[in-house]
Parts: sequence; structure tokens; C-alpha cells
Amino acid sequence: MLTELAALTRREFLKLARNPQAILTSLMLPLLYLLLFGQGFNINPAQFLPPGSPPAEVHQVVLTYFRGAPDYYSYFAAGMVGFVSVTATLFIGANVIFDKLFGIFKRTRGTPAPSAAVFGSRLIAGAAQPIALAFFVLGLALLFGRIPGLNGMDVTANVGALGAVEIVLAIVLLSLMFATLFLMFGILLEVPQTYFAAVNLLNLPVLLTSDALYPWGSMPTWLRNVSQYNPVSLAVNVLRETLFGASYYPYSAGVYLLGLFAWSAVLIALAIFLVARALRPVE
Amino acid sequence: MGERVRRLDRGGFEDLKSPRTHRPTGIGATGGGRSARVLDTEGTRMEHHGAIVAEGLVKVYNGSIRAVDGVSFEVAPGEAFGFLGPNGAGKTTTVSMLSAGLKPTQGRAMVGGIEVGRDPEEVKRRIGVIFQESTADGDLTGRENLEVAAGCYGISPSEAHERSEALIEQMQLTDAADRYAKTYSGGMRRRLELAVGLVHRPKILFLDEPTLGLDPQGRAGFWGFIQKLRRETGVTVFITTHYLDEADTMCDRLAIIDHGKIVATGTPNELKDRLGGDVVTLKTGNDRKDLTELIRPLAGVASVQKQDGTYRIKCASGETFVPIAVEACARAGAGVTGVTVKRPSLDEVFLELTGREFREDEGPTATDRAVILQRVQGAMSGRR
Repeated sequence: MLTELAALTRREFLKLARNPQAILTSLMLPLLYLLLFGQGFNINPAQFLPPGSPPAEVHQVVLTYFRGAPDYYSYFAAGMVGFVSVTATLFIGANVIFDKLFGIFKRTRGTPAPSAAVFGSRLIAGAAQPIALAFFVLGLALLFGRIPGLNGMDVTANVGALGAVEIVLAIVLLSLMFATLFLMFGILLEVPQTYFAAVNLLNLPVLLTSDALYPWGSMPTWLRNVSQYNPVSLAVNVLRETLFGASYYPYSAGVYLLGLFAWSAVLIALAIFLVARALRPVE
Repeated sequence: MGERVRRLDRGGFEDLKSPRTHRPTGIGATGGGRSARVLDTEGTRMEHHGAIVAEGLVKVYNGSIRAVDGVSFEVAPGEAFGFLGPNGAGKTTTVSMLSAGLKPTQGRAMVGGIEVGRDPEEVKRRIGVIFQESTADGDLTGRENLEVAAGCYGISPSEAHERSEALIEQMQLTDAADRYAKTYSGGMRRRLELAVGLVHRPKILFLDEPTLGLDPQGRAGFWGFIQKLRRETGVTVFITTHYLDEADTMCDRLAIIDHGKIVATGTPNELKDRLGGDVVTLKTGNDRKDLTELIRPLAGVASVQKQDGTYRIKCASGETFVPIAVEACARAGAGVTGVTVKRPSLDEVFLELTGREFREDEGPTATDRAVILQRVQGAMSGRR
């Protein structure tokens, strides 16, 4: 199993390395969001307060509005980490469909390589991209904070070793979950158009019902209620709590991680069941 | 996993390198390889000798389309078995069922001594499949394609590297080994796919329309490799092809499939002999004289037809008949001015068996023409 997994994973990474355009394109989206959207859309709720409000009150309003984050950019940058963890997995299943169309998938299935190796290799390579991208976003947002004239992420909490582990876990779990989901679509579906339709049908509602980009203070109650179960929100909550403090969250980062873990377990179990069925000899 | 493969290699593939003592030739011949003892679906012990055994295979799609309809045959170890039929006859479906890619609706198959439905993974270890469509990974180099394929069979990276090097050399891909497969010509791609199919040293090779889309040079090169492989390893080869001349030259035995059913099995010559030998066309210098009655009693003649001064004669052997006929006509004062001998092609066999042409444009093949011309020339020079 390990030899097969290693061989197939090597193939995935070789293909990835030979497509620098795809890597460059995947960097462009977060870069544009951080460099343009984040800079231009840096809302400040204090502007709605009466002039001359005491600084402590202003500070409190800002913290409440952004759930502990000192400004929108910091709040949004943590959300972007969750955002790219989803969007960078979109193509993982499309690659499977193209491999089916080119006969490469058939060749792999003609070998005794276990389904777990076929699935696992694509999952490893597919999840590596969003994970790397998520850390790229985090690093870039922190870097921008040190460049004069640019908005950047301002970490206001003490991030210890445990906090760092929690951040890594949140990013890995979220990326793995969506990579699994879209990989499952790719294995189950045969036509690229159907795949992209299915992915868009899922991708947009998931992102738009999360609190990745909306300021918490501006979200209606019903959307807040929905978003607290959204896996993207769960991951982003872990990041925000760790980076900006836990005062504005009803649960600890560990609880959100547990929720994320439950989501991942359910989706991965479903994927294993459906993919194992799909990879059996055709009835 | 790697150890398991090595063990199989010692017990399987290398066994086939020993000289074969029996080559089946007759219709329905099954050969004399090692027997395989297996349990059938009811749990009773059964014994088979064939490398590939199909028993009443049926594949029904969408509840009503019978793509394969009760196909049974046995291929002996070391044999090259051709599976012929027009598009949609059920060839690829049969290969898919035999190579554990498709579950039969009914019937069962044993490949390499393993019942396909019981242990498909083990079957996959024992076979190599060259698919109809190109399956080489264009973004990987030839060498990488081979190493990844080897890894899929649980072969360790170092062993995979060694095997890949050997196959690259064997398939004459050394200069192109580090080029992306997408830059290969059709023939090179096919050779790479053959190498990929052989990297785990299978006992049985399935070639599903392997030369489709190749130019004549590419086709000849590909079959050259297969012949060499058979000589060196004694691998069993199951071929489906559209090219009847290839089947004629390459296969020890053939099965003709039409509408999902096997309509005939035999060696290429046995199948052609069913049509009653050769067709000889004679043209004489004297159109007014009817030589029908002179020709009819000559050796091996089955029928004579005269059309516009040309005689179309069906006879057992053209090479025996022509010199006798030429001499008889000369004695009767009607010298022969033209003669052609045509061996019945497999296309005519197909026409005879199914009532329709295999391919509209299929005539006597270049190989047929070359062989017959050689025979006639040899026979005539012998008479002189």
C-alpha cells in the first residue's frame, strides 16, 4: 500500500511542479484579495460613533464588531486563510475528470494499486496546495503589517506553541475536508461541466454562509446562527481566537477544532464509502 | 507488497521462460500448461489448464443491451489468441471482463489460474493490459511513466528504476526516455504503453486494438516487439484487432465474435480452409474456346465459372493447381495469358460466417498477396 501510495503521490507532485502557471494563478487570487480588497475595504465601525466618543468606547466597538480583532484587515486576513483553504481545492476533482478523459485513470485502475492509494495520493497532493496557500496568506498578511502605508494583520494575542498547533490543525483539517469532498465529486462524476456546476453549487453557499469575510458586527442574527455551524467559520474562529484572543467567542478554540474534526470525519467517511463503491469493477 | 511481487515473479513469469512443449493448433485446442485448481462459485473444485478461460460470459447493459452474449473459450499458456469482430461486436467488453475492469452479468472467467470475480487484484497482478486508447501520462517523461506504473504494482523504487531502464532499452526509447510522453510520436507512445504493461512482468498480455491509429511502420514495429517478447518470455497474448492481416500473421488461433457471440474459432488457416481453398483466375489467349470442361476434372477443383473469357476456379490449393492448369490449357491450344491466385482472406471468412463484410474496404491484404505470389512463383519454377 505504501509503495503504491508513494508512487502515485510522486506522480501528482511531478504534475503539479510542471504546471507553474497553475501555481502562479492560485497565488494571484489571495494576493489580489490581500493587496486590493483588504486595503480598499478596511471598514472602521468607529466612524459611525458620535464625534468625540471616548477612545475606550471606540476600542470596545471595534473589538465587538470584529470579534476581538483590532481592525477589519486583521479580521479579514484570518478569514482569507479559511477562504483559500476552500477555493484552492476546487480543481482537485477536475484533474481526476481530465485523467479519466485522457485514459490515465483507467490505466491506474487497471493496476492492483488499492483504491486507498489512488484516493490518498490525490488527496495528499490536492490538500498540500491549499495548506501551502493558507500559510502563504497568513505570512503575507503579517508581512504587510510591517510595510508602512499598507494595512496588515496585527496579532494582538500571545500565540504560544499550542496556539500554533491549533492554527495548523484548523488549516489542515479544513483543507483536507474540502479536498476530500471535491475529490469525491471528481471520482463520481464524468463530465467537467457537471463537476464545475456541482462545485459552484456547493462552494459559494459554503463561503457566503461563513463569517470568513463579513464583519461579525454587521451580520444579521440568522446568518450568525447559520455561520456558527459552517466548517469555514469553525476553522476561522480557531485562527481568530488564537491570534486576537478568546474573549468574544462562546467556546474555546479546542471546541471549534472538535467541530471541524466532526465535519471532516463525516465527510471523509462518506467519501470513503462512495469512492470505494465507485472504484469497484463496473457492474 | 514488494516481496509478494518478487515471489510471484519467481513462481510465475520466470516459469514461462522454460521452453514450451506443446503448442495447440486445432479448433478448440486448449494447450498443456500448468493446471489451476480453483473453487467455482458453488464452492466445488474445478480444474482448468488455460491461461484464460471464459465460461458463458454475458454482459447486459441497461437491462436489455447484450454486448456479450454467452462467450466461452480457452486460451493456452503461451498462445497468441486473436479476438476479431467489427465495432460493437463485444471485443472490448470481453477484455474488460477478463481484466477485472467490468463485472459479467453472467458466466465467469479465469485468468492466470485465478477466478476473476474472486480475486480481481491478483488477476491484475498477473496481466498486462494495453488499452485501445492512449493511456501514457503526457506530463511525465517516459521513464517516470514506467516508474510510477511499477510503483502501482508494489515494486520498490530501486527495482522499478532497474526494470524501467531495461524496458526503455528493449523498446528502443533510450533517447526519448527523459522527454515528456506528450512529445512522443504515435508509435513511440504505443511502445511506451507496451513497456508500462510489461513493467510487472505479467504472464498474460491483453492488447485491445493496440495498433489503432498507427501508420504501417508503427504497426510493423509494434508487432515486431510483441513477436520478440513471445519468443523470449512465452507470454500469453490476447489480441483484439480490426486489422485482419495482423491477426492472420500474429495469432496462433482466432475467435470471431459478432453481435456478442463467438461465431467461429480456429487457426487462421483452418478458418480460411472452411471456404474451400484458393480462388484462381485464369485468362487464356483464346476466348472462343470454352475450357470449362477441361479444367473441371483437374486436381482439387471444386468449381469453375467462365466470365468474359476469364475462368474463376475454386480449388483446394492454388499452388498445386496453377502449373497443371497452365500445361493443360497449352496442350488444348489456349495458352494462359494471365493468372491470379487468391487465398481466402479472413474478411471472406467473416462474410461467410456472418453474411456481411468485416470492413467495406477490406480486400486481400498486402501480406496475403505477397505470400501467394511467392507460392505461385515457387510452384511454377518447380514445374519448369
